[in-house]
Amino acid sequence: MSVKESGVVSQEKGQDGYKIVCERISKEFIQKGTQRVHVLEDISVAVRKNEFVVILGPGQSGKTTLLRIIAGLEIPTTGRVLLDGREVTGPGPDRGLVFQGYMLFPWKTVMGNVEIGPKLRGVPKKERREIAARYIKLVGLDGFENHYPHQLSGGMKQRVGIARAYVNSPEVMLLDEPFGQLDAQTRYYMEKETVRIWETERRTVIFVTNNIDEAIYLGDRIITLQGKLPGRMHAVYEVDLPRPREHTDMKFLELRHIITEASELTL
Amino acid sequence: MEAVANEVQKTVREKRPFTLLTILKNRWFLYAVSMVFFFWLWDFVGERRILGSSLARPHEVLIQLADMVTNPLAGKSLFGHIWASTQRILIGFVIASVVAVPLGLLMALNPYINAVVKPVFDLLKPMPPIAWISISILWFGIGEASKVFIIIIGTFVPCLLNSYNGVRLIEPELYDVVRMLGGNRRQEIINVCFPASFPAIFAGLQISLSIAWTCVLAAELVSARSGLGFVIILGMNLARPALIVGGMVVIAVVAWLTTLLVTALEKLVCPWKREIEGM
Repeated sequence: MSVKESGVVSQEKGQDGYKIVCERISKEFIQKGTQRVHVLEDISVAVRKNEFVVILGPGQSGKTTLLRIIAGLEIPTTGRVLLDGREVTGPGPDRGLVFQGYMLFPWKTVMGNVEIGPKLRGVPKKERREIAARYIKLVGLDGFENHYPHQLSGGMKQRVGIARAYVNSPEVMLLDEPFGQLDAQTRYYMEKETVRIWETERRTVIFVTNNIDEAIYLGDRIITLQGKLPGRMHAVYEVDLPRPREHTDMKFLELRHIITEASELTL
Repeated sequence: MEAVANEVQKTVREKRPFTLLTILKNRWFLYAVSMVFFFWLWDFVGERRILGSSLARPHEVLIQLADMVTNPLAGKSLFGHIWASTQRILIGFVIASVVAVPLGLLMALNPYINAVVKPVFDLLKPMPPIAWISISILWFGIGEASKVFIIIIGTFVPCLLNSYNGVRLIEPELYDVVRMLGGNRRQEIINVCFPASFPAIFAGLQISLSIAWTCVLAAELVSARSGLGFVIILGMNLARPALIVGGMVVIAVVAWLTTLLVTALEKLVCPWKREIEGM
């Protein structure tokens, strides 16, 4: 286990071989016409192909904004995001986003929600049903295809959210505190499932969370953000524990201690 | 599958012993008590002439209504009068909703259309529709057109407001879902805007419908030769309380039936809502 304190990824490494590169991103919002809110300051991140990167930060550290910038839903005030070396200018099906608040369509069934991606791309009904059914099975919801979202529990709703993002076979999966609304039990279970799904269908993953345990359990690399606006990068931790990881493993706890100590300084 | 479905529950009904208390606490029993008491009070007040001779007793109303089915009143049977009012409502309601609902959607989706239409709309909005009766008679005469006009005026506002707000109140992240999956603006509107605003639109239609009944009655009370409002006013002029109360009862029943029609339509268009309500 190696720990690199304040290890902002240096530019000398070059951008080749990286799936996603954020170059000195900062973001300011203008609220109510005049008030400026500085949300992100000088964020540089480089993510390798099929790497599982966790962005860890307390509430109000701009981590959701960072993810939305990578998704292309927000435009950075300065800096840019590169996907395979090309600048990101807007949202697109090459990235899949899983929302904190699930954001399922209540008027559609599980199948209807999952197949929306291929449907928008004009894939014929039979074909897109097959693809959707495959991902519904992958997230363990087979048998619930005809249920409406309100008939599902929180964990099941987020499974639909994950299947919906996966169905377009995006190269990058972006998850925005996906289990923040779940109880602790369901949360552990969903983290396990996330690893299982990721190991079945490898993708580059950027996972945003405020939970240290979740970060260590999931990530190849953890990037911590400072706990006050504007969000700045604080440290990068490599997690080379073998999967499946144990929350009570000595090395796990050691790393947890290190991160907790380090982040408390900034809170 | 158990792991996922571990929250599926079944409600098991407990069988309780059958006692006098269970009957007294039974919901349906209490409903019956409530209804019996209401009709008894009505009959009592009518019989003792507590309100003078102006309240017809329940059975008198029934006899009056049965009589109207066979013996035409002012050239029309009971169903003729019901149809006269319903027809006005249908014409006015359909015209208003066909124009107002799409206009509300357009206003919510296009800031320019909104900027042009909204000031005029806000100016006319606080005016109670019934205030238009006199001027509509001057413009359109005492025929059908003036009554339909009042209904359009009355139903236009809630139809438009609800479809407008229905779109405005959509969670913006739902659009992000479509954008992330590669959808364009047109697909956002078709896949998010329309379905998400349906419940609000139907709420608007329901409100409009009850307003339409108020409007048609008011218009018929002022000037008409047919319709349920006319039946009531005729009862007043002829001093026949049974006719007045009979007209009122029929209006309530028909208005309720038309509401059911809109509810049925909503269930057809928004099947997901029904199950939320049923929970």
